[in-house]
Amino acid sequence: MAASIAYVGGHLQYGVNFCMGQSYKQAIWVPSVTFNGCLQRELSWSCGVSKFLQIRKCNLFRSRTNENWKSFGTVITSAYLRDGSTKYFDFAVIGSGVAGLRYALEVAKYGSVAIITKAEPHESNTNYAQGGVSAVLCPSDSVESHMQDTIVAGAYLCDEESVKVVCTEGPDRIRELIAMGASFDHGDDGNLHLAREGGHSHHRIVHAADMTGREIERALLEAVVNDPNISVFKHHFAIDLLTSQDGSDTVCHGIDALNTETQEVVRFISKVTLLASGGAGHIYPSTTNPLVATGDGMAMAHRAQAVISNMEFVQFHPTALADEGLPIKPKKTRENSFLITEAVRGDGGILYNLSMERFMPLYDGRAELAPRDVVARSIDDQLKKRNEKYVLLDISHKPREKILSHFPNIANECLQHGLDITQQPIPVVPAAHYMCGGVRAGLQGETNVHGLYVAGEVACTGLHGANRLASNSLLEALVFARRAVQPSINYMKSSSLDLSASSLWTRPLVPKSLGSDVMHKILRITKEVRKELQSIMWKYVGIVRSTSRLQEAEQKIGKLEAKWETYLFEHGWQQTMVALEACEMRNLFCCAKLVVSSALARHESRGLHYMTDFPHLEESKRLPTVIFPSSHTTGTWSSRQLHQQPIVKSMV
Amino acid sequence: MAKTSLSRLFASLSEHSIAKPSFTGSRSESVTRSAYNSVTRFVCSSAQETQLIREERSNEGDREAAKENLESVNKEEDEGEDGDHVNKETGEVGGPKGPEPTRYGDWERNGRCSDF
Repeated sequence: MAASIAYVGGHLQYGVNFCMGQSYKQAIWVPSVTFNGCLQRELSWSCGVSKFLQIRKCNLFRSRTNENWKSFGTVITSAYLRDGSTKYFDFAVIGSGVAGLRYALEVAKYGSVAIITKAEPHESNTNYAQGGVSAVLCPSDSVESHMQDTIVAGAYLCDEESVKVVCTEGPDRIRELIAMGASFDHGDDGNLHLAREGGHSHHRIVHAADMTGREIERALLEAVVNDPNISVFKHHFAIDLLTSQDGSDTVCHGIDALNTETQEVVRFISKVTLLASGGAGHIYPSTTNPLVATGDGMAMAHRAQAVISNMEFVQFHPTALADEGLPIKPKKTRENSFLITEAVRGDGGILYNLSMERFMPLYDGRAELAPRDVVARSIDDQLKKRNEKYVLLDISHKPREKILSHFPNIANECLQHGLDITQQPIPVVPAAHYMCGGVRAGLQGETNVHGLYVAGEVACTGLHGANRLASNSLLEALVFARRAVQPSINYMKSSSLDLSASSLWTRPLVPKSLGSDVMHKILRITKEVRKELQSIMWKYVGIVRSTSRLQEAEQKIGKLEAKWETYLFEHGWQQTMVALEACEMRNLFCCAKLVVSSALARHESRGLHYMTDFPHLEESKRLPTVIFPSSHTTGTWSSRQLHQQPIVKSMV
Repeated sequence: MAKTSLSRLFASLSEHSIAKPSFTGSRSESVTRSAYNSVTRFVCSSAQETQLIREERSNEGDREAAKENLESVNKEEDEGEDGDHVNKETGEVGGPKGPEPTRYGDWERNGRCSDF
């Protein structure tokens, strides 16, 4: 589907003018938010470009030959009703990380809740967040200070309203977590122990030893399990949102999911849906994210006509352990990267390329002690210039006892793979860690799709701007999950479940008819295609970018996607068929393309987005990047919902 | 991670309603809020207080704020009454042993970084 990308001015949370083909219209948002009248005028455009907008029409895909939309009256549904089932809930939550669970616990007081999660409930980015959660919990600290730190880290691209809301409400959210049973470290004087992470002017990081995310997840899950109004559907992979058109509005009615244990499709009809599906780290080959982070929510939302924002801001860590450089390779591919701390460089570690040249002094006078972003770019530059897979971080010149006592984790991990870090350098490569962008959310977590709310990493609330401040992600998830509660309840109360709605959309199909040989081939190809996509993303859409490389990425991804889809359909795959690997692949394609498009649209360098042909900050471009889906129904398999969108005639 | 001992003041008492304080910036207020349930105290010590406590407690030398510190020294750590580890430097109970995880800005434990 063709997409238009634009910079949109200032405090755009509450109203969006977007281009649907030639005409434009204003989406209607939750009425409680205010709207800046001046902005509205400035944002409107015709085919010309106003000074506040930069529009880039994205024709990423060759249009397919027109497929006829079946009017819903002729959809044959009886054949599909036999397998799978339909479930009805007041609230459907996609994802079981901190955002999803927190929201579920609140809305469960008002209605029935289904939590749909693709693996075990604790498998989420939240669980791997070991650091802490930031909040103003100290009398000498202030909301203003936290706001300022956030905005500076975000390279001034943050939405100030979002920042204010998060920093203000954070402390209350932490207190609630404690009341729910999360145990955070305290001092022996009984007060919460607060750490101070880079970028923060005050001590404000609340943590539970070194497994804060896990502790929060544990506490929330325990409460969820004990809540009679909440049903958790684990190993249910969300396929597509169920949406309809009500005039110019898109409305969300629920979600189709695949039970990956029983291979059955389950349709969830819900009055309200919360997307809390987390990140998309696996569009890159090296990532800290667990395997579940394949950008499912961002892709589903984009297909459902939700607006996406700031996808170019991908946070990388410069020094993850590079398995390729280990003498004994891990038996199976490491699921998520092992990050090597700044402390190694801080304690005197030196970076070398594979020719044993110390390269950091070429990039920055502070050499290895330069800021992390500078180090990340330098490493990326070396790798691309020299076409190599990793660089070396050498601490072996330091005393052996110090190395082993400070970094036992690294020492152990490397020793298991044949490397002694007291003697040899450590192979390192940057790893993708966090997506600052995502589904555009208003201050209540609302999106431009009615009945669809977002929270957590999948959302783009404007908090992070162009770069996330440490420990702000758990906080964002908590605050926005909570804020989405009241509007969700209001919306839920004013809508009713149409029990016949279930038959309005074609049901996804499990590919039993293909047979195991063909499925085996398809799975194998899909696995290779995933690796190829990740390789393209790393090579052309890494930390140091350029227009030519991004355009090349666009081409290559387009070709790869076409090749993959052709293979599938040639082997009998049908439009409505679903399998976990294939659905993840289409989501990865979708997210990868969103990142590339967004990166191409930003002609400046800001925060995490660095372009060699636009290496400086441009004040005039201090605007979010926004992707509006068009109403075109043609496009690739990854860009269309599996079912069709019926025109609503008389939906209750 | 199992919930640990009674010395952890923040038990799971979800039925307790939590009063919402407003931080006015005055340190004395923070400790004497009567609205708080005595079991669930959330008020923290300020960075200055922590510094004072550190200085009073230990004579180990000048450990600066986490970010500035470039030297880490192994220290013997006290054990609390019921086995909970108490960090001599910071007074943190049950926290990570060894050098301050945030001393170089990121969050690290034994060399592995988890947040930055």
